[in-house]
Amino acid sequence: MKSFETFHPLVIFAFFAAAIGLSMFFMHPAYLVITIFLAVSLNIALRRGQFFKDWKLYVPLFFLMAIINPLISHNGKLVLFYINYNAITVEAIVYGLSIATMIVSIILWFSCYNETITTDKFIYLFGKISPVFSLTLSISLRLVPRFQQQLHKISNAQKVIGMDYRSGSLLHRIKCTLRIISILITWALDNAIDTADSMKARGYGIGKRTSFSLFIFERRDGIVLLFIMFLLMVNIWASIIGTTTFYFYPTFSIIQWDLKNILFYCSYFLLLAIPIIIEIKGGIEWKLLKSKM
Amino acid sequence: MQKRLSLIISLVIIFIFIPLTLYAGIVLFNDRKYYFISIMIIILASIPFFLSFERRKPQPREILIIAVMSAISVTGRALFVITPGFKPVAAIAAITGFSLGAEAGFLTGAISALVSNMFFGQGPWTPFQMFMWGMIGFIGGLLGRTGIMHKKIPLILFGIFAGILFSFGMDIWGTMSLYGVFSMEAYIVALTSAVPFTIVYAVSNVIFLLILARPIREKLERINNKYGTFQ
Amino acid sequence: MEIVKVENVSFTYPNESKPILKNINLTVEQGEFIILIGQSGCGKSTLLRHFKSELSPHGKKAGTFFYDGKRLDEVMPEKAASEIGYVFQNPDNQIVTDKVWHELAFGLESLGVDKHTMRRRVAEMANFFGIQKWFHQKTSELSGGQKQLLNLASIMVMQPKLLLLDEPTSQLDPIAAMEFIQTLNRLNKELGITIILVEHRLEEVLPIADRVLIMEKGDLLFDGDPREIINTLPPKHELITALPTATKMYHLLDGEGPVPLTIREGRKWLAKKKVDLHTGKQLPVASGISNTIVLEAKDVAFRYEKNATDIIQHLNLQVKKGEFLTIIGGNGTGKSTVLSLLAGLQKPYRGKILLHDKLLKTYRNKELYQKFITLLPQEPKTLFVQKTVKQELEDTAKYHNILDDKVEEMIMQFQLIHLLQRHPYDLSGGEQQKLALAKLLLIEPEILLLDEPTKGLDAYAKEELATILKKLQVNGLTIVMVTHDIEFSAQHSSRCALLFDGNIVSEADPRTFYSGNNFYTTAAHRIARGIMNEVIVCDDLVILCKKD
Repeated sequence: MKSFETFHPLVIFAFFAAAIGLSMFFMHPAYLVITIFLAVSLNIALRRGQFFKDWKLYVPLFFLMAIINPLISHNGKLVLFYINYNAITVEAIVYGLSIATMIVSIILWFSCYNETITTDKFIYLFGKISPVFSLTLSISLRLVPRFQQQLHKISNAQKVIGMDYRSGSLLHRIKCTLRIISILITWALDNAIDTADSMKARGYGIGKRTSFSLFIFERRDGIVLLFIMFLLMVNIWASIIGTTTFYFYPTFSIIQWDLKNILFYCSYFLLLAIPIIIEIKGGIEWKLLKSKM
Repeated sequence: MQKRLSLIISLVIIFIFIPLTLYAGIVLFNDRKYYFISIMIIILASIPFFLSFERRKPQPREILIIAVMSAISVTGRALFVITPGFKPVAAIAAITGFSLGAEAGFLTGAISALVSNMFFGQGPWTPFQMFMWGMIGFIGGLLGRTGIMHKKIPLILFGIFAGILFSFGMDIWGTMSLYGVFSMEAYIVALTSAVPFTIVYAVSNVIFLLILARPIREKLERINNKYGTFQ
Repeated sequence: MEIVKVENVSFTYPNESKPILKNINLTVEQGEFIILIGQSGCGKSTLLRHFKSELSPHGKKAGTFFYDGKRLDEVMPEKAASEIGYVFQNPDNQIVTDKVWHELAFGLESLGVDKHTMRRRVAEMANFFGIQKWFHQKTSELSGGQKQLLNLASIMVMQPKLLLLDEPTSQLDPIAAMEFIQTLNRLNKELGITIILVEHRLEEVLPIADRVLIMEKGDLLFDGDPREIINTLPPKHELITALPTATKMYHLLDGEGPVPLTIREGRKWLAKKKVDLHTGKQLPVASGISNTIVLEAKDVAFRYEKNATDIIQHLNLQVKKGEFLTIIGGNGTGKSTVLSLLAGLQKPYRGKILLHDKLLKTYRNKELYQKFITLLPQEPKTLFVQKTVKQELEDTAKYHNILDDKVEEMIMQFQLIHLLQRHPYDLSGGEQQKLALAKLLLIEPEILLLDEPTKGLDAYAKEELATILKKLQVNGLTIVMVTHDIEFSAQHSSRCALLFDGNIVSEADPRTFYSGNNFYTTAAHRIARGIMNEVIVCDDLVILCKKD
């Protein structure tokens, strides 16, 4: 049972724009811990098995990024040791780890984005701002699977007349592959004329277009959207007054733990936790509903 | 009037918004938010292209040709899935540009990147890829006007140039992803370590351009003669 | 009340000397169901496109079209777009967007209809067409029949008064085609929509049509009741072969009285005719097939993926030297898969396929496709890469080191001489197929496999294909063809096999095969069953009944 993806695309998109935008922005350790923790949690909630497969990719990436920085940057006061007279500092190591955390959490947020913003939601959202562009996208998306099928037919037909792109010399293979692409293009362009006619036949371009969608903006969407906007403002404010600022060089700034700062940290946590809260709430409500039946 | 408005918006973006973003990046954020700023700039820089396409109210056939060329390069990208870097996307965007102009070239490149990432997964690299492939199509479109792209030598040179341009562009993103900051030294390290890829990009571009440029041009011309698509 | 009026319309394409439409005059009443027929190139599609101003071709035009009492070019574009609907031949090409629900709404979006009205109309049409089950699907996941129904539905949401359809069923299998035609009939009878349909499945559409228009070389040759065609057409006219079987029988036996159109009317008419059954004449049975087996499948099973279900199972099939074997079967029985297994394009996971008693998979591709087997794909276009017909043939000849004389011979044999400088894509369906065959047969294979070669062909092109195939068979080529086309199989093949659930359930010579089936048989047999059981094609009746 997935709850978050049933919200209006605008809400989902606003969330990811806020989450990814802010995650790219904040290098404060507290903020980094919050974003990676919630990105991992949402990944587990939404993608489960797939997420654990992806670990093989994330972990090496994380360490690669963490190691590279201290080798390049030699700033910082806390020197651990020297390699070829270049200082390896604690600051540089921590900075490397922080950057790695940021990048990995952005990638993780994107994988949740890919899971929830399906192509029709994307096209719907962009249809509002840029209808022609989103229509072009939609047509393109429709054509890709069709072209793949046709590619298969063409390669079989060509195989029978000796143009097998999977055997023979490298040159022969490249030649055959491009021959197949060439056939595909002729075929595709010829058919495109029909599609264009079909658009015209259905009145495309005669007046102002409206857009149809199956998405309905409910009260709950409005509430969550307002919530996202409010928390986004709070976090931008926090950034302006300097709460989120953190220096690694020449040495670390101090992490503040007074009430004001803790409240700001909480607001960040709350913003990024919205989908998880919705998932948990949805799960509980479903169980209650079931138990009453 | 329509054209003018989109020109004005484009100029405002290029001369006001982009410098403002850069300024904000350097002054307000202490020159540290490269990642965020670069993505913002890339997105802002792409807006004028989409805007002029939108406001021009293109005919169904133009829309279709751009969609078809993008879908072809996505399909081609999937066809060459085992050979990293060896992809026809840049070449197809450029060829579309040669025949149909800079705007069509840009859109084909950008849409190819966006659509193929819809199949392979979006990420922070999407805007960069869109912009780089779009630019290759755009420059192809500008060069196409001169008529020299019918010849082999310009095609080869363009292929190499496009490979290097793509590599340079994507390495900006790569550098910032790996180091979090943009420094010249790191960029040079990234560029040198990416040399094999740059070579593959350039070689694949040259091969695809040499083999596909003429047939695709002829096919587009045939469609144009037969149905009067771009009159 | 008339909805459309055509006055003295002539039309010439640019760069052509002869007009494609010559002084056409025509009125269409509201609520009529009209069938427009004619050979390819007669101008029927051109005429149809002129009714839809957005699609009317460029060229020199004279005369006037009227719609709803107004000149067509003065009708408001919104009205023209929504009230005149157009369905094209290819189901795939017309679909614009990637989701079914979006496709349904596309026309309404263009007209600027508000969201609430859109919701209602889309829901209405989804109900009428039974689309609810696949409403949320991607358009690329639909079957051909579903796609064409979607195309029709996405026009019906715009509430048209006049529907124009250009061979909408030519790419569909018989069952999907029947469903489509019945839907059209419902739209006409239940909603009163005026329909003009270009079609060559006359067996199915003539009985439901109010009126038939026949075009020939730009002229309107016939305009009237479907039952009057046969008595109006000049004898031996090429269109007669395309008419419903009952009508053809009536014609061949010099019938009198009301002309039968359907199987039921045909049976009634034949029963009344009281033919003399004791003339002692015998119907010919296909004979002289050698017993040498060239290609054989033994207990073959095949599936596309490890965990998928078997598409082919327990398949046993023998192909004999020099025969013309047709494999028939419904949709999804695995016909095309059988063909690609026999061609070596797919490998069975169990069982053996033998070519000349040697395992097919042990042949090298080069040897296999140069000496033994060739396959004509369903879409001949997948073979074409060059700019002209001539280059297309030379391309293959060059690759396989074939002499020019052979190329010339093929050009003569397939009558391609007048097409040599044309682009392969500008040829008609039948011509494309001839070119594809010529290309494949240049390599001189021993066995020719064909995948639904009659799909989309009109009666004339089918006859031409049959003549070619029979000639090839006489010259020693072994032919295996999978098809939906029962009539073609009965008339021309030397042996038939029925594929069901992945294996061959019965096989015999056409006469035994089709006179043994009750339902899965030809129209002629269904008409003559119980009266003359061995009849499977119209010509059989003539042999049995006519006194020379």
